Amino acid sequence: MALFEEQLNEIMQQADAWRADGLARELSFEGREPWPEGPSLVLEEDTALELGNPAVASLSVLLWSEEDGVEDGRITLVGPDVAETTETSIPFAQVVVVSGRFENEYESYRDIRDAVYDTRLEGFSTRTMPSKQSLWCRVSSDAAGRGFSLADLGASLIEALKELDEVEAAEVMFITSSAEHVKSLTPAARGAQRVVDALMMMYQEDNYDCETCEYQDVCDTVMDLKKIRQRLDEMKRGSGAR
Amino acid sequence: MIIAVCGKGGVGKTTISAVAAQALHDRGNGKVLVVDADPAGGLSTALGLTPKKTLNDVRKEIIEEIKVGGRDEKDLSISLDYLLAEALTEHDNLGFLAIGRPEDVGCYCRVNVILRDAIEGLAERFDSTIIDAEAGIEQINRKVMSPVDYILLVADTSAKALNVAETIRDVAHQMIGGEGAGLVINRAREQAEVEPIKNETRLEVLGWVPEDDTVRRFDGRGESFLQLPECPARGAITGALKKAGLEI
Ligand SMILES: Nc1ncnc2c1ncn2[C@@H]1O[C@H](COP(=O)(O)OP(=O)(O)OP(=O)(O)O)[C@@H](O)[C@H]1O
Ligand SMILES: [Mg+2]
Repeated sequence: MALFEEQLNEIMQQADAWRADGLARELSFEGREPWPEGPSLVLEEDTALELGNPAVASLSVLLWSEEDGVEDGRITLVGPDVAETTETSIPFAQVVVVSGRFENEYESYRDIRDAVYDTRLEGFSTRTMPSKQSLWCRVSSDAAGRGFSLADLGASLIEALKELDEVEAAEVMFITSSAEHVKSLTPAARGAQRVVDALMMMYQEDNYDCETCEYQDVCDTVMDLKKIRQRLDEMKRGSGAR
Repeated sequence: MIIAVCGKGGVGKTTISAVAAQALHDRGNGKVLVVDADPAGGLSTALGLTPKKTLNDVRKEIIEEIKVGGRDEKDLSISLDYLLAEALTEHDNLGFLAIGRPEDVGCYCRVNVILRDAIEGLAERFDSTIIDAEAGIEQINRKVMSPVDYILLVADTSAKALNVAETIRDVAHQMIGGEGAGLVINRAREQAEVEPIKNETRLEVLGWVPEDDTVRRFDGRGESFLQLPECPARGAITGALKKAGLEI
């Protein structure tokens, strides 16, 4: 099985189901100027809309695949966009999916993660806790007044991802409709996180013992991880013999 | 601009930090970060702001992240940002952070490293920062204050307090370098009490703050200094802050 095959299938199916139910729509970036970049700290008093507050539902997922099936440039939204809600704090999920050729999975993970996390837009603050997969964002009153949309976020993310050599196609899905919808993706997201954790562990630890490793179950089900492990083992043995 | 309020124990550092926060508590003054760097934590009471999470809690959570493993530097720095946002208590244009008290003795330096990173990263995004430092020279010694632009030294009219203030100035000069510093003489009864100190000290004297009944009353009742009305102490402290270079 490929790295995120199971999770990707699950999430893609859910997205298709939402599309079929008329809950999901595609956001168009056409005719919009790229939103200016710049780090921002949006204080509560300057906040028009909060997305993914830790007290509400929040989820951030990064998936990549060597298979086709990623619709390049697509920005999908389930729920209201920034200007379409009267709430001040809403649930939030951000699902980023890319496809391409990933020779070094570990490097690729870091490239993709950095492209996503280093995307900083003016008047839009993002905070991420990778181990919890939470993403907590604020749209400033100023940005909201200037018409900030999740299409701007989506387009910036996709652009940053497409700058990576290994990425061929990228798409993003946002969910703002309800905590239930966000949470329905949690099992797949957690599964993906365990794959990433196992991958990080493999590359970071010099000596891992599969028998005692807490990610053994992940490696056992995900064939690609097994292959990566074998490759790493061979590399280490090779360098030890020299 | 980052100002650290330093001095001997009990001379009025927390009071002056709280009044500074009060003076800056107005949209017109931009975003203001207020940091209680004293593990004993008096500024929280003085401002009536209770943090849900302290910097020490953040430290504990980051250590957990490291223990669990599988996280690289970038993950940790992103996580630190997130946890800091949780630790930041917001009140209008003010953001408040408290260092908190580590329960295991002997790990203060670890807290201080976290504190420094926290201040540096966050303070950059605020227009001004006020730090209520721990009494004495320990935090200066440990280079916790490296991002500080200005040291606001506080002393009462005692020779001991003046001595500590001068020592802090010297240590800071050695450890950090050329940032500014100035002295506020607190709890003086009259001008005449201040003159000899002015003549004697090498420090620049920014002003003196009278013993003030309104301050005593607020302190006695535990009322938030953010509500402090016009009073002689408030006027004097605001004046000193302006001299220190803060735009109020
Ligand atoms: N100008 C003033 N007029 C009246 N009372 C004052 C004044 N300044 C400080 N005080 C009082 O002096 C006491 C000590 O002040 P404060 O807590 O600000 O000192 P500190 O330097 O922060 O002490 P510590 O080193 O313990 O943190 C408090 O009860 C405070 O109300
Ligand atoms: Mg104090």
